[in-house]
Amino acid sequence: MREVAIIGIGGTKFGKHTNRSIRDLALEACLKAIRDANIKPRDIQIVYAGNAVQWEWGQGLSIGQPVLRELGLTQVPITRVENACATGSCAFREAWYKVATGACDMALAFGVEQMTVADSSKMLTIVTGKQFAEREGDMGLSPPALFALLARRHMEEFGTTREQIAMVAVKNRKYGALNPDAQLRTAVTLDEVLNERMICDPLTLSQCCPRGDGAAAVVLTTKKLAKKYNSTPVYVAASVQVSGTYPDDRSFTFFDPDVRGAKAAYEMAGLGPEDIDLAEVHDCFSPAELVHYEDLGFCKKGEGGRFIEKGLSDRGGKIPVNMSGGLLSKGHVLGATGVSQIIEVVRQLRGQAGERQVEGAKVGLQHNAGGFIHTDTGTCVIHILKR
Amino acid sequence: MSVNQSNGERKFIEEGWFKDFAEGTALMGIRCEACKKVFFPKKEVCPECFDGELREVPLSKKGTLHSYTLSVMGIPGMETPYVVGFIDLPEGIKLFSVIKDCEPWDKVLKIGMEMEMVIGKIRSDESGNEIISYQFKPTHKETR
Repeated sequence: MREVAIIGIGGTKFGKHTNRSIRDLALEACLKAIRDANIKPRDIQIVYAGNAVQWEWGQGLSIGQPVLRELGLTQVPITRVENACATGSCAFREAWYKVATGACDMALAFGVEQMTVADSSKMLTIVTGKQFAEREGDMGLSPPALFALLARRHMEEFGTTREQIAMVAVKNRKYGALNPDAQLRTAVTLDEVLNERMICDPLTLSQCCPRGDGAAAVVLTTKKLAKKYNSTPVYVAASVQVSGTYPDDRSFTFFDPDVRGAKAAYEMAGLGPEDIDLAEVHDCFSPAELVHYEDLGFCKKGEGGRFIEKGLSDRGGKIPVNMSGGLLSKGHVLGATGVSQIIEVVRQLRGQAGERQVEGAKVGLQHNAGGFIHTDTGTCVIHILKR
Repeated sequence: MSVNQSNGERKFIEEGWFKDFAEGTALMGIRCEACKKVFFPKKEVCPECFDGELREVPLSKKGTLHSYTLSVMGIPGMETPYVVGFIDLPEGIKLFSVIKDCEPWDKVLKIGMEMEMVIGKIRSDESGNEIISYQFKPTHKETR
């Protein structure tokens, strides 16, 4: 496999873009990434377009071609990717794979989602369905309820506290306030988070990611070609995608795909958690982030609560996590989320993260979980990027 | 299987999940005769060994509470707030379930406590039908 470099990144602000078309959102991100890469659209030989759902009416066809047509990027293979919340990361990974295996030299991956056009009462019916054998989504299970169940079991087994779980929202909103592209740009205090409206106990409002609209795009090429276009290429040291096993006989305090995925990613990169300078992880709900610290090897099993309480996932700590503000600040813009996590890591490694820069960052990890099936995430994608 | 026609229909969430016995309605699983693993709901083949003959078996009506939460925000058609949880059955199956008869939930419910299955309405659908499925309640409460 060839070494692959990211030479262009671009994204829209995440938030409410109800009056723009989904095409226009994706176009803005692609154009920014192509300009950042210092290439012409027709230099791109393949495209993967991440889009989970077209929310105003359900599923949609063809997202890539209508966008890229606007740039004169026609004729080349363009494929849409869907993998629930990991949609964007999977689009990126497909593009990476094509360059890494030599099928082409330059690829574009983008992710886009426009969720504010949907009636919020109908959103849950879109994410559940009869493909799920246990029909849990039709029997009362919502995404926040699931992560509340994870939190409660973690509290019972490891003594994790409500305060420690709420600290995830406090930390991430602090950095979201420093990210011009984030949707929620106000910091929150621990007291505020604990006393807010309850969604699913112990998760209050700020501990649940908002939905949103936005797009993110990345241009990839070979290590050899990268220097020609960009003086600060960022290399893909590991790209791993695994699916769940959905076991019944297990304690609901971890995500097995994350454990397996992290092990494979560290092996592929020849690195360990001790080498990671910062991470963007899938903080869809606050307890998820604590569990990811453990599953990704940032701390021991059961230590997630103490890890954040000691400031070890804050800037200046052992591994700063979600310096973008995470999904809790940016919003979870399904198709765009994974690509936007990759963009944040690239910005940090380039030294372009402004007020939220982790000084001297050389290696970053991106983690994106997708979908939920019974007791497990459907997909886990992990990328390790290095300068 | 009894279906009342009073106010809209009473519909099982999945007809094939339940079976009537002399001692009441049971939730049905599948046991693989080769690897002895039990699955819910029914499978076409054994996902574990892809080998054995599958036999339908009624699942235990008692299990232990694995985790629980008060869902203040709920799914459409369900009256909020409601309590849900994961229940571990002795067969090695984890069931997501609505939890009834547990007020006050934060005092009554304890992880690891024994729970028992009841069959009843979990929500209404868009056409006003009552959707029936399994639910659990703490065993220590008096059976009505």
